[in-house]
Amino acid sequence: MRRLDFLQSDRFVGLLFIAPFVVTAIVFMVYPIAEAVRMAFFSYNPLRPDLVSYVGLNNFEFIFSDPLFWSSFSQGTIWTLLSILFQTIFGVGIALLLHRKLFGMAIFRGLLLFPYIVPTVVIALIWRWIFNPEIGVINYSLQSVGLISEPIYWLSTPTMAMASTIMLNVWKYTPFVVICVLARLQAVPLELYDAAKVDGAGAFRRFLDVTLPQLREVLIVVIVFRTIWTFNKFEEIYLLTKGGPGTSTFNLAVYSFEQSMASLRLGVGAATGVVMMIMLMIGSVVYLRVAGFGNEEKST
Amino acid sequence: MTNMDRTPSQLLLDRRGFLGGAAAVGIGAGNLFSAGSASAQSTKTGTVRVWGEPGPYGGAGVAAMNEWAQKNAPGLKFEIETIPWDGVYVKLMTDLAARRPPSLISVESPIAMQMMAEGLLLPVDDMVDKIGRDRLVEGVRWDYWGSWKGKQYVIPAHHQPHLLLVRMDIVKELGLKDPDTWDWNDLLNAAKTITQKKQNMAGFCMALGRNLCTDYHFAALLHAAGGRMFDASNKFEVVFDSPETVEALTFVKEMQPYMPKGAVEYSFLQVVDAHVTGQTAMSFYWGRTLGRAAEEAKPIFEATEAFNHARNPRTSRRSNWNDFQGWCIPAQNNPYIEEVKQALLYQQTSKEWLVKYCHSLMPNVAPTYKDIANSEELRNHPFYKSKPKTVDTYFKSSLANSSSTANELLQGVNPLAGYVHGRSILAQTVQKVVIDNQTPQQAAKWGARELEAIRRENVRLLG
Repeated sequence: MRRLDFLQSDRFVGLLFIAPFVVTAIVFMVYPIAEAVRMAFFSYNPLRPDLVSYVGLNNFEFIFSDPLFWSSFSQGTIWTLLSILFQTIFGVGIALLLHRKLFGMAIFRGLLLFPYIVPTVVIALIWRWIFNPEIGVINYSLQSVGLISEPIYWLSTPTMAMASTIMLNVWKYTPFVVICVLARLQAVPLELYDAAKVDGAGAFRRFLDVTLPQLREVLIVVIVFRTIWTFNKFEEIYLLTKGGPGTSTFNLAVYSFEQSMASLRLGVGAATGVVMMIMLMIGSVVYLRVAGFGNEEKST
Repeated sequence: MTNMDRTPSQLLLDRRGFLGGAAAVGIGAGNLFSAGSASAQSTKTGTVRVWGEPGPYGGAGVAAMNEWAQKNAPGLKFEIETIPWDGVYVKLMTDLAARRPPSLISVESPIAMQMMAEGLLLPVDDMVDKIGRDRLVEGVRWDYWGSWKGKQYVIPAHHQPHLLLVRMDIVKELGLKDPDTWDWNDLLNAAKTITQKKQNMAGFCMALGRNLCTDYHFAALLHAAGGRMFDASNKFEVVFDSPETVEALTFVKEMQPYMPKGAVEYSFLQVVDAHVTGQTAMSFYWGRTLGRAAEEAKPIFEATEAFNHARNPRTSRRSNWNDFQGWCIPAQNNPYIEEVKQALLYQQTSKEWLVKYCHSLMPNVAPTYKDIANSEELRNHPFYKSKPKTVDTYFKSSLANSSSTANELLQGVNPLAGYVHGRSILAQTVQKVVIDNQTPQQAAKWGARELEAIRRENVRLLG
């Protein structure tokens, strides 16, 4: 009887609804993470599956003593910080523009999502053409208007290649920031602006004292997510520069891939993934604490 | 009767006879070629996956196999899957690791030899006997394609050297010497002269990116200087940190100002592009450039000729990097082994199909068998008429200068070369010099350390 009651209860329906997510998360998230953590302590060449051996912390020792790991870390950090900085600045700016009621704005908002919707592989290949020093549209345009006389080799020097990958990342993911910020802007009470105006605040002052504080929570969340996703990003860098020239645009995701697939050291690749996970967890917690995320809710 | 005198169907009858005998004693009944029956056929169904590099020749090979399938395995369809060069290593390794290899692979000898030494390939000595052990063109041996510990694992698909492609209209215009007589200094001077005198044109182009193409281009210079990565005769000791490596790296550094600025990221396609679009007057490349120029840039095709590489002034070597590309059959998780062997045998013993294979992209893939190389049918191609010397250089005279990372200076099969290319060690060494501005000595030391790590990790293969 009690069992029948449970089957008819809201609690059971709730469990039913959540079950697909839990199963999916276990299969596609929890298990792979657990397997990666396990593999980080083993030596495993995929071509020799019969020769798997426990190596303790050797894989971690390997990566921490590998200069390429550290340069990948620092390059990945630069790529992440600059990408997030520009995405945030452009995202907030564009969202403020789109917040105005102008004719055709709905169409423009739709178009803005285009970079975010198109698959990364397509975008990266298109950008390779765009960046092509001889036939790319950027050099052609800049030369046409007389801004440059010699073609710029966008992907051929370490600095330019890093700048180009950041440009691609900013172009593709700024719309995500725009959507989040725009959604929040539309929920800001207009009375706050009216009151500020009555108090004599100009447009810039209203932005600083009304808009930004209202955006604070959403920006904290957006920055955390974008940081995690960008720091882990593999496909854009790999498809655009393959980590080159040299290893100048390697980040830890590319490093992990190279160790796993090119060097056939799956254990080292997994150890890199574990280190990345720990770094991001620590970084996210510290950032959320420093930014004071959720403090307002607690205080109310 | 030699094997080449037989038709493919006669060879198949031999196979059927063998299988018939096997079936009679209750062995191999699953092979499905029933004994002595006129309608002996495989009843297997499905798609037989074949991997090949970009280009029409893999498709030409598979077309022959499908002709065999129509007659002998109507439920099977051979299908080529093209893998980009720079993705070949990753694709191969991930699919082999995932235990879903294709049933047949056409691949470059370094990777074939790695797989062979790892025990991933099927020995094919029985096929070699049927194809004919004495059929190979002069100057090559079966082991160039892949043999290990006395067994052959790879059936030749083609040989494919990269050579020095030169725009002869530019050479004549600037009064340069015959490229056939050049040593490295002449090549350097020619590149410099062209760069200085021809606006918007680089004198020379080779790949300098972190990729397979750079590995192959640099390997030719290294070998011409007499250098190697490993000493096959001395337990594969690393011998890369040498004056020869420094000499080759120094030469690359000297040539760099006369290359397109983007060369530091160039791979296969970009080097072809540079030549076919007239951005460079000279390049290192395989015959594919001419094939593409013929289709897209007729004047450049007409003006371009191929030469054996410029001599190293010290050693007089003109080493190329010859892709002894072959067909290999994954031994594990391969449900179509017998059918693949039969179909491959059919293609390998058909003059018509082998000529079609070579003609599919002239002069990129050179014939490996004498009867094909010397046949009138092969010569019946417009390129042979318009560029006989260039085609003959690719097909024949280059063989005297053959080298490969999988068989350095032809002094012994090297199963570690696949790992070297997988990690782009040679390309990274070159990039240390051309991008990071390290000295050639520093770069050679770095490369030697990386090679030593590969040797140490894979010493098991060398025993």
